[in-house]
Amino acid sequence: MKDLVHIFELEDLLQEANNKLVRQGKEDGKRALGYTCYFMPEVLLDLPGCFSVRLRAPRSGSPDMATYYMSNRTCMYGRCLLERALEGGFNFLDAQMATETCTVTCRFQEHLQLMDIIKNPDFFCEFTDVPFKKNENSIDHYEQQLKHHVLDKLSEHFGIDTSDEALLKAIEEHNEICRLITEIGSYRKLDEPTITGWEFSVIQLATLVCPKYLIIDMLKDIAEQLKTRKPDAKKTYRCKVVLAGSEEDDPDFIKLIEECGALVVADRHCYGSLPGREEIVVKDGETPLRAIARHYLDTSECPRFMEQHTMRKRKQYLADIAKEYKADGIIISQMKFCEYWSYERTIDTLILPRDFGYPVCSIEKEYVNNAVGQLRTRFQAFVESIELKNIQKEA
Amino acid sequence: MKTIGKFFFKLIRFAVIVYGILFAVFYFDLDGKFLYYIWEPFMIKRFDNMKRADTLKTPYTMKDNVE
Amino acid sequence: MKISFKDVKAKYRELFVVEKSPEEKNKPFDAKKAVKDFWYGKPHEERRLGDLYVGNTGLYKHREWRGFMDTMYYFNMIWLYNYAHMVTDIMKYGDGPKGVFEFAKGTMRYRWMGQTYLTVMHWFDRGLEGVRGDALKASAWHYRGMVSETIRQFMRMFEADKKLHGGEENELWKKTIAHNETLSGNIFYGWRDQLDDVALEMIPYFVSVHVNNHTVLNYIDAAQSIGLPADPCPMCQAEYGLFVQDDYPDYSPVMLTSNEACDGSVATSVLQDWFLNRPLYAMPQPMRYDDPLVQEHCQKEIEGAWKFIEEQFGIKMDWDQYVKHAQSFNKLTEFEWEKWDVAANTPYYPITGVAQALYRIYYSQDGDRPIWHEIDAHVKAIMDNTVKNKINCFPKTRHRAIAWSCAPLYYSHWCTWAYNCWGINTVINMDSLMFDQYLRTDTYEHALEDLSWFNEKAPMRAMAVGGHEHILSLFDYMERFNCDMVIMYDQLQCKGMQGIHGVFEDEFRKRNIHAIWIPHALPDKRTVSRAEIRDIINDYMTTVMREEPLDPTLLDFDDSMSW
Repeated sequence: MKDLVHIFELEDLLQEANNKLVRQGKEDGKRALGYTCYFMPEVLLDLPGCFSVRLRAPRSGSPDMATYYMSNRTCMYGRCLLERALEGGFNFLDAQMATETCTVTCRFQEHLQLMDIIKNPDFFCEFTDVPFKKNENSIDHYEQQLKHHVLDKLSEHFGIDTSDEALLKAIEEHNEICRLITEIGSYRKLDEPTITGWEFSVIQLATLVCPKYLIIDMLKDIAEQLKTRKPDAKKTYRCKVVLAGSEEDDPDFIKLIEECGALVVADRHCYGSLPGREEIVVKDGETPLRAIARHYLDTSECPRFMEQHTMRKRKQYLADIAKEYKADGIIISQMKFCEYWSYERTIDTLILPRDFGYPVCSIEKEYVNNAVGQLRTRFQAFVESIELKNIQKEA
Repeated sequence: MKTIGKFFFKLIRFAVIVYGILFAVFYFDLDGKFLYYIWEPFMIKRFDNMKRADTLKTPYTMKDNVE
Repeated sequence: MKISFKDVKAKYRELFVVEKSPEEKNKPFDAKKAVKDFWYGKPHEERRLGDLYVGNTGLYKHREWRGFMDTMYYFNMIWLYNYAHMVTDIMKYGDGPKGVFEFAKGTMRYRWMGQTYLTVMHWFDRGLEGVRGDALKASAWHYRGMVSETIRQFMRMFEADKKLHGGEENELWKKTIAHNETLSGNIFYGWRDQLDDVALEMIPYFVSVHVNNHTVLNYIDAAQSIGLPADPCPMCQAEYGLFVQDDYPDYSPVMLTSNEACDGSVATSVLQDWFLNRPLYAMPQPMRYDDPLVQEHCQKEIEGAWKFIEEQFGIKMDWDQYVKHAQSFNKLTEFEWEKWDVAANTPYYPITGVAQALYRIYYSQDGDRPIWHEIDAHVKAIMDNTVKNKINCFPKTRHRAIAWSCAPLYYSHWCTWAYNCWGINTVINMDSLMFDQYLRTDTYEHALEDLSWFNEKAPMRAMAVGGHEHILSLFDYMERFNCDMVIMYDQLQCKGMQGIHGVFEDEFRKRNIHAIWIPHALPDKRTVSRAEIRDIINDYMTTVMREEPLDPTLLDFDDSMSW
């Protein structure tokens, strides 16, 4: 296929956290607000006067200093973030809007509070408590937390306008990004998708780590190009897969899967768009903050939710995505030492083939992906097994 | 009276013997040795060979919200 | 196979004969000293407890002679008394002699029961090794309480168990609430007169590991056999490995679970829910629990749990029952505070580190039960005596230690060893300090408020989540309990603790504190053996502290195959 417009520019933006557009956003007088988890609604951090940066530690090597602080038996994502912070890579942050939603990222953020790592006199790190359920009690609680620990703090520290009008405007801008990403992502549903998983992941990631107002025009151009983009005459992939699992912010990992012959057509993982890029709907009589709280709890498919019906629906959701995106199989990828996904991956690996008929390739990986050779073998074998299955079906 | 006395003497003698045996069991850790060398291997064999239901066949259907 | 006399003799020597050291062999017989040792027991430095072990089994060639009075106390009031009660309690809690049959069925059906129950006296032995006088008595009462409550719980499980009754859902099955072991029993006080609540994993996993750590390995392996990686918390692995092995009793129509203590507990619910396949209520506690804003949310979740029970069992919560049990539980809390006071400010505290820790976790998690009051009365009498008469219960104390983070379950009695070998007296530990909450009952609102606080301060959680200041409160407690040493548990698979490892290292250095890191994997002795744990302490004590052991025979011995 013809190269996507802006794709290499966007890829460049992913090479460091304090990228060109982040610097530009700061030069425009906006505050850079870091976060790590979907449960910190980015829409609130994109209020006028500030912008959200979901933290990544691209081009990480061995996180030696962070390993001293967090040992080598914790999730490498958390350690690489701490290493990057210790190296000074997050000094551009004006605040870290933290959540205790998984242990190791929580500990990383606690180090920011405890050790005076971020060399920025304005910097503060504020934690929000996130509920484990989706019921009304949880929405009430979450709304209150967001008000107190996000909006009030932004207003106090940086004089950010957190009025309903400002929130509605932020929602509107956020929804526009979501619409564009959803539109771009929808080309993955085609029988012959006109966008690759790698391309989509670059675009999606860029929306998470750059000021949105500086990126939206590029998204529009991409959406426009995709309307007429033709697939390759000869298929370059052998099967289509959903990539599900824990934290994943490395487009090269998706490239690795695609090099093995499996086109990644859906991204149901932290930093993915499913869920994540659904539009926020403000219902009649609902305040914008209430709508945001409800939206983020409703849409999240995090294995952290522990109501019985929610736990069970998560598997159905994954199967529905596989169906909608016409996937032949599912790759469940878990960051090593992620406890939530250790268990979720185990049950998904057993239930999805048994109850939904989807073959599953179940892998564990590190944030700094050094096990490329082993993973390549796994993915190649998975692709072959799907092909064999398809041949058997046809026969 | 003599018979009762004899009976009690016998009873006390029996109790002393039992008490002495129990003390020997306690002091020489005979209970531990029995459990370690005889009881536990027997139970391990039993549990290792026990037929168990395949719990992986448990259905995983949707459930109603309980609240 | 031919067995020669030589073989029998060798076996006899192996099992029963304590080899004397060369110095002892060459010593002339001193009748006066022999009589003194017989009556008082050998002085601490002459005991040679390590010589009593049979190979790597942890068995004794003979049990320790503690002096006449203490040995007779141990024999009569601990060994005989507890063996007898292990039978009578079965009948007491099992509705008469038929309870024995239920017990036998359960013993033959469940590995955690059959392999473990009878070895319980060795659990006493390990925890009470070398302990004398009032410390022996008070600590043994703690063990007795735990055994009795364990019997009550498993008898309830067995009597209600569908699996032991041909799949029949009997009346007790319909009247028993199953809940995760991390959910406190105090949630269920409102039904204690009509229903009973039994923690699902407390006996099959938690208690059984302490008594006999061989069984749990089966469950951990089973958990990994279906695809779980080896690195998540092994406690959580074992908790659902029970289900993979179909080794859980089916004694309740419902399940209540919680997010305590960590991500692993939350995730375990996913698999447990699958295998249990029955109505499940999740009662999560807020992570940032000292944020005043989270309390209402937490309280509503507790009310949600109550509503769930009312709906599932068709029985209204009885407020008077709640008040009765909460007030009764407060008495246990008051006595706990008294114990802490004595432990912190005097050398007269008569309870070993292991007894203190296990008893506190057990009763505070379990909630109000008559046995705890009975035990506290015994212990109070002993403690009053030691304080009144200024009896130093651990006279060889060289260091007063606080143990922080979660302990190795397969070696919870390490502190008894540490005292015997090095004079390290573990006066308090992190788990004991949790659930530190008085339950007000004057109004419904106060009751709910305190109940939510109580649950937010659950074991393995209060200090581990909600902000680094909680976990770093170690230093305040160290001061409060007058400790000069920290035993820092390093649970290798606990992400929360691993995630703050370096900060502790820095703080210890900054504050010039002697801290010994004890790596372990909670219930799994294969990751770090007991001998390795001892080696680490030995190394620190010899190279850093430059001290000599009180009992050199305890420095290096093999107990790899012991219970």
